[in-house]
Amino acid sequence: MGLILFYILGGLTLVAALGVVTTRNIVYGALFLLVAMSGVAGLFVLLFAEFLALVQLLIYGGAIIIVILFALMLTRTTDFSVATEHRRWPMAAVISLALFGLLAGAAIGDSGDYNTYQRSGISIEELGKGLFENWAVPFEIASIVLLVALIGAIVIGRSGEEEGGEGDQG
Amino acid sequence: MNADFTLLIPEFILAGAGFLVLLVDLLLPREQEHRRNAFTSATAVLGLAVTGVVAATTQMNTGESFHDGLLFIDRYSLLFKVLFVGIGIAVVVMSVDYVAEKMSHPGEYYALIIFAVLGATLMAESGELLTAFISIELLSFSLYVLVGLSRGDARTAEASTKYILLGAISTAIMLYGISQLFGVMGTTRFTEMGGLLAAAGDWDMTLISGFVMVLAGLGFKLSMAPFHMWAPDVYEGAPTPITALIATLSKAAAIALLLRFLAEVGSGAVHEWRMPLAVLAAATMVIGSLSALPQTNIKRLLAYSSIAQIGFVLVGIVPNTVIGANAVLLHVIGYAFTNLAAFTVVIIIELKLGKETIADFAGLSKRAPVLAMIMTGALFSLAGLPIFAGFLTKFYLFTSAVDKSLEWLVVVAVATSVISLYYYIRIVREMYITETEDESKLPVPALLGLLAWVLFAGTIAVGIYPAPFVDATNAAVTVLTPWVAL
Repeated sequence: MGLILFYILGGLTLVAALGVVTTRNIVYGALFLLVAMSGVAGLFVLLFAEFLALVQLLIYGGAIIIVILFALMLTRTTDFSVATEHRRWPMAAVISLALFGLLAGAAIGDSGDYNTYQRSGISIEELGKGLFENWAVPFEIASIVLLVALIGAIVIGRSGEEEGGEGDQG
Repeated sequence: MNADFTLLIPEFILAGAGFLVLLVDLLLPREQEHRRNAFTSATAVLGLAVTGVVAATTQMNTGESFHDGLLFIDRYSLLFKVLFVGIGIAVVVMSVDYVAEKMSHPGEYYALIIFAVLGATLMAESGELLTAFISIELLSFSLYVLVGLSRGDARTAEASTKYILLGAISTAIMLYGISQLFGVMGTTRFTEMGGLLAAAGDWDMTLISGFVMVLAGLGFKLSMAPFHMWAPDVYEGAPTPITALIATLSKAAAIALLLRFLAEVGSGAVHEWRMPLAVLAAATMVIGSLSALPQTNIKRLLAYSSIAQIGFVLVGIVPNTVIGANAVLLHVIGYAFTNLAAFTVVIIIELKLGKETIADFAGLSKRAPVLAMIMTGALFSLAGLPIFAGFLTKFYLFTSAVDKSLEWLVVVAVATSVISLYYYIRIVREMYITETEDESKLPVPALLGLLAWVLFAGTIAVGIYPAPFVDATNAAVTVLTPWVAL
């Protein structure tokens, strides 16, 4: 049962991911990305990582996709016409496939050496303890990173406005 | 588990100083641009200085691992902490006139410099990959914003877009590599990883690809070939004090992390990475030096020169010895003084003449003899000529490589040093020999002039009286235990 679900979810994720890079319409790309993200969330469920699955759906499936769609709505699409006309896509495809082959080969070939745990659910309580006790330091640093990103977004956004407001007719 | 948060007092002060700068900026009226600039920069310098003094007085004999090796508060991180705080102060001081003339938002500007210093400090302290990763992000995010802050021409927009996109990709690659290493080893702490690697036999593909990706991510921050492409454009487009910050702070922080990582994790498996890293070092030196030859913009030239300098630093890392590490630390210190001195002169020229091509330096020996002398000293130090820092530190670096019979690498290093002398001399010739019609004196702003003098003195001090610096680096490298044990 788990295996069948895995193939369904994995296939869905792969097809959607291919859709992201092959589609010419950037809005379709964003929607394909949503499907791929949800597929990954499903894979997390199969691994008994319910919390991760939830976060994957909320953050990536929800917030990030919505931000992407908003960004597309608020910028004029003509600005991006160049982005879809890349003539060097064969090279990118070859390199991506080679890298995929290498990593997939490594993962399959060395799968015996991976640390294997008995998969079982981890309670949210344990996660919280881990995050706020053992990993408190990186967690605190992350909060400053977010602050810096916030400052950056405001300052750079505002400086465009002060110079005559060409860019914000939205 | 040691979770004594008093160990992190300097970091708390630093973060607090960042917030204080933002607050000072908020409290002053918006119209008084000049006063805001003066007050926020003074607050920033004060915050950085207090951090440095507190760290240097309280942590001289500390050798603690915080949270089972998430962070190491020891002599090694203390050396870098003091160095980074010093770089931060120098960059804030060289920014004051620049910000007044060319930028808005002084409060955010100085606060971000402080957050960048905080990120760099945490990088030098981290003993664990995820902490290291998020610290790199703190440094990088601050730099992304700072690069894009100046009132934009097209070059700035290009620089900041390029930096953010490539930086994000390199971040993703590094994170993927970390996940692979964790998958194989089940830990991200350097010391535990080192033990597992030393016990492991042949490396499998996952391990190799994980390491390659982590090193690629770090290589991007270092602008090591073949991950150097972003450097010239970003250097050219960024506000000049921020170019100086990238060239010194972000490079030194990445070196601090790389050195600790390779010492703790890679020491037992040196045969796996020595050759690839040596080849990359050679490639970095050759590409940096040869690409610098045709440059006409001084900031682009210094970008390629900094790529070549990273190659020299790698020459000291490849031997996998404590002598090499010592030479690397000394070189980083000397390089910080030298590069900051050079950039201070570039900023003065840019503010007075509005341009920064090499031709603008023509006749500088007549127009501002002191500036010409300081610039010449800095360039000679970068080239590695005696009495300046660069000669001594390069000598140590090359000797450490000879000890491990890497003579071919030293030959490449010396050859590229000679090539680099050519393009540094080109600027000196411009300053001293080329005649110009405009021979009016250039007024040197007091603050920037003083800063240039101090940094110039530092460059010479490392070159002729290195004893105190060597004492500090000697004490610092003792914490790289796997290398000390060799």
